[in-house]
Amino acid sequence: MRVAFKINRALLANVFKDLRRPHAFAAERVGFISCRVGGLRPRGWVVLAHEFHAVADADYLPDRSVGAMMGPEAIRKAMQVALSREVCMFHVHIHAHYGRPWFSAIDLSETAKFVPDFWHVRPHMVHGAIVLSQDSMAGLCWHPQAALPIRFSEFSIVGTPMRVIRESK
Amino acid sequence: MRERYERQSFLGADSDKIFANLTVGLVGGGGGGSHLAQQLAHLGVGRFLLIDPDRVEETNLNRLVGATARDAERHCRKALVIRRLIRGINPNTRIRTVTKKWQECHELLRGCDVIFGSVDTYRDRYELEVAARRYMIPYLDLGMDVHTVNDGFSVSGQVILSVPGGPCMRCLGFIREELLKKEAENYGAAGGRPQVVWANGLLASSAVGVFTALFTPWQKQPPPGYLEYEGDSQTISISRRFELMKDKQCPHFPDCRDLGDPFWIPRRFRLSPGRP
Repeated sequence: MRVAFKINRALLANVFKDLRRPHAFAAERVGFISCRVGGLRPRGWVVLAHEFHAVADADYLPDRSVGAMMGPEAIRKAMQVALSREVCMFHVHIHAHYGRPWFSAIDLSETAKFVPDFWHVRPHMVHGAIVLSQDSMAGLCWHPQAALPIRFSEFSIVGTPMRVIRESK
Repeated sequence: MRERYERQSFLGADSDKIFANLTVGLVGGGGGGSHLAQQLAHLGVGRFLLIDPDRVEETNLNRLVGATARDAERHCRKALVIRRLIRGINPNTRIRTVTKKWQECHELLRGCDVIFGSVDTYRDRYELEVAARRYMIPYLDLGMDVHTVNDGFSVSGQVILSVPGGPCMRCLGFIREELLKKEAENYGAAGGRPQVVWANGLLASSAVGVFTALFTPWQKQPPPGYLEYEGDSQTISISRRFELMKDKQCPHFPDCRDLGDPFWIPRRFRLSPGRP
């Protein structure tokens, strides 16, 4: 099954630019990317990134146990975008290293808490999380018909030049 | 790098792997499409989706690369002739052929990494580009035309690279309402369009060059988005229109509803054993 994520090169540059800004007390920044979905034949789907939504400075909570902790207002605003624009939402953050990234244990446990909440406003869409490294990306997708999140099998950075990253099987 | 691709290793150390992992959609298997297929197979593209509903006719043999007189006698499917051509160059290529109009199987194109359009009408070009943008797929259009000028003929053509986010064919002035309207009014009256093998070949080679620059690191500059072919002077040059528009954002697909399925329905599925 193919589960693909596509993002425009210019949009990805904006995501990096925003997430690299320092915050008054959080060690890192996080955000959301609103996306649309298309079916792939014979099996699978493609998530198409449309717009980046930064988490406002005031919507971070002071919590030294994690790099960044979003408050409820950050989630509420992201849910509002999903509701009003008919989009699915993907949480995004950056790891500082190069090469293929993956979520830390705390990333996985925290993401699993709030991503399914997006089904309250957009029940028939996939939602999820993307983790970026300095030169690659990875992600998980929560599908309304699946018990567990599904790993993206490929990523495309669309622009000039084009870049296609496929997970090795 | 495999021995077969050593001579093109300057395209990048991993260029053979890049090409082998790409799925290329070819819409139109005529004069332009057959040249494209041949060159892309030589480059090492790993997967093809070939779409053409037509059969080989005697009148195609002046330009259809890979077609034989026997194919014309038997009225073989063009898509199958091109599949044979590709397989002859690279037997390991994965090829899906569809002998329908592309509009009847457009959902298959969504899985392509790039789509080449070698079609006859402005309407087809326009609709293909819209379909490609909806799923964030780069679209490479090529075509040629022969015009009557005074008491002679003039050959011209174009290669346009339409990358989501960048200028589209409407931004570049290639697709215009008056052209679509005029074409619709003349529908059915055009007859066989004049085509010649060298112009098809030149345009296809240029398109493959643009494709290569799009996916491999061999050029520092981004590939040109609009090449114009002037048959009288035998020149291909970057369109002035593109030079003016290349850094502008396309205003024609602004809304998130321009992306993806209008109504995506999540289907039930079963994960393969061993998958996370």
